Amino acid sequence: MCINVLVANRGEIACRVLRACKEAGLGTVAVCAANDEGSLFTELADRVVMLQGDTIATTYLDQTQIIEAARSSGATAIHPGFGFLSERADFARAVADAGLIWIGPSPEAIEKMGDKMTARQTMRAAGVPVIPGEEVEEIDETAALEALRLAAERVGYPLLLKASSGGGGKGMRAVHDPADFEQAALGARREAVAAFGDGRIYIERLLSGSKHIEIQVLADAHGRTVHLGERECSVQRRHQKVFEEAPGPTMTPALREAMGSAAVAAAKAVNYVGAGTVEFLLATSGEFFFLEMNTRIQVEHPVTELVTGVDIVREQLRIAGGEAMSCGDLLIRGHAIEVRLYAEDAANGFLPAVGPLLVFRPPEGPGIRLDTGVREGDDVTPNYDPMLAKLIVWAPSRHEALQKMRRALDEFVVLGTTTNIRFLRELCDVPAVVSGTTTTTTIDDEWPNGWSPATNEDLVAASLLTASAAESLGLHQRTKAGASSEAGEAPSPFQTITRRFP
Amino acid sequence: MQHRFVGTGDPVEVNLVKEGGAWTYEGQRLEQYGERLKVTLADGSVHLAHAAKTGDVWWVHLNGHTFRWERMEAGASTKANDGGLTAPMPGKVLEVFVEVGQTVIAGEALMVLEAMKMEHRIVATSDGLVTAVHFKANDQVTQGAPLLSIEEIN
Repeated sequence: MCINVLVANRGEIACRVLRACKEAGLGTVAVCAANDEGSLFTELADRVVMLQGDTIATTYLDQTQIIEAARSSGATAIHPGFGFLSERADFARAVADAGLIWIGPSPEAIEKMGDKMTARQTMRAAGVPVIPGEEVEEIDETAALEALRLAAERVGYPLLLKASSGGGGKGMRAVHDPADFEQAALGARREAVAAFGDGRIYIERLLSGSKHIEIQVLADAHGRTVHLGERECSVQRRHQKVFEEAPGPTMTPALREAMGSAAVAAAKAVNYVGAGTVEFLLATSGEFFFLEMNTRIQVEHPVTELVTGVDIVREQLRIAGGEAMSCGDLLIRGHAIEVRLYAEDAANGFLPAVGPLLVFRPPEGPGIRLDTGVREGDDVTPNYDPMLAKLIVWAPSRHEALQKMRRALDEFVVLGTTTNIRFLRELCDVPAVVSGTTTTTTIDDEWPNGWSPATNEDLVAASLLTASAAESLGLHQRTKAGASSEAGEAPSPFQTITRRFP
Repeated sequence: MQHRFVGTGDPVEVNLVKEGGAWTYEGQRLEQYGERLKVTLADGSVHLAHAAKTGDVWWVHLNGHTFRWERMEAGASTKANDGGLTAPMPGKVLEVFVEVGQTVIAGEALMVLEAMKMEHRIVATSDGLVTAVHFKANDQVTQGAPLLSIEEIN
């Protein structure tokens, strides 16, 4: 049978999946909103179907249109990537009903894990430890607020408010003082309603000083469920991960075995098939608690791929095709670190930034992997998530991986749009990062009043010198003449700074 | 040659000196060779510099640091806005908490914006009197748009 895969996503994950399909010899279809026309991912697909609509809801979230795109383009399978429709059980069901292969777990598994409150109940029943807390089912705002307030008193402060349909830090609030509770609860509800159409909130005790450790699992339809070890993703800002690594720097073989077994039990409890991630909090006491299961490929999957040698996206394709997974026994080799490159102003509360990518020159060399959704000449717009790319390094030891990451970040040149590159570079020197003792509050602990770049007078003066000299030399006037080299052509050997030969 | 730039602080005057094939400023040295810019810092270390301009802004990458310098024509005003609060990012106004004529205290929430599905609070930077509110809930704002004006009370 000829399989053509439609990738219902955009940006860097669409690139990752489209490339994996091409490597597997499968045909590929991209879907693309008008404001993504000409994006890198559309160039990696055999066919592109334009989505009609002006908003995310009417393009990448429009199930009917995407299934119709699959039909009209001859696609026989749909890979959802992450975000967008990846954890929508109704979409998984609609895909199957349309006679297409869904590259992901069953709608039932997505449902059980996607509703975080149901997931907590399922895990309790399966004997997997969950964070102490309470679920509140009330829909009506006044009743929900009252029930939440009472639950908060029982759970105790500090606590976390989380949206039952949440993810990616949306609809989440930490509350330290009961006086702030109402405003936080209203904000969380509003964000949850806007992002997920579901304002239900649950409460978890805030376990400060905890590590965020997650276990990658793979399960095929032949009854085999395995884990691929852990990733540590403690370093977060605004509840979003920025620095991820594998293996966990403080992990022991015994704890890996215990957490791995719990993750496999969690997957089996919902008859999971495909790639998924079970997230845990590892408390200072050494106890670990189930946070949630992500029923999709994850942003930080490359660090696991680099240390285990397993191509997780390729395994997803294999499993969805009904084959047995190809990976053997777990073998962890060396150390991998990923950082997320965001278009954001780290010195200004991590606010999203926009602008042109006048220069986009990623680092190169052994042990470096770049998963990017953009390239030089693109514009960063406010239409989508500000994550531009992921930089991943591998080295034989953690110490060397950090050294490599520092070198790679120093080499990474992005001009025209504010990015978090310098923030990530300074992060590599934070004592807790160097020692591997990071927790979910490391960034706030290190920079309680917000981050601003450490620099020195000479460097500032030299940058002013460079800007001044570039202006005096008229370097900007060559930008247009140099446009051909941006398109990937080598500069003409007949063209020099001052003279142009016909 | 003289240039004037503004970054995050006060404007800076740069008096560029050309010595032989090199440009110098405050003990730093820059040479051009081929397409490249080579910078020698005061401590003797040598680095490749990258520079690109968009609008009036020069972006410079040097030794792992990125700088953003807005070039100002000689004599141009440096005042970006008069006590106004501007949108830090393009987005949508979710809620406005204050009205014209209301007094606010430093740190008080004035408005909530939403961009990229994240909420962002606009707070008063000083005690003052609200003299203008330029947007209402559900309005779209562009980056840098003045949102409200506050007259400082000392």
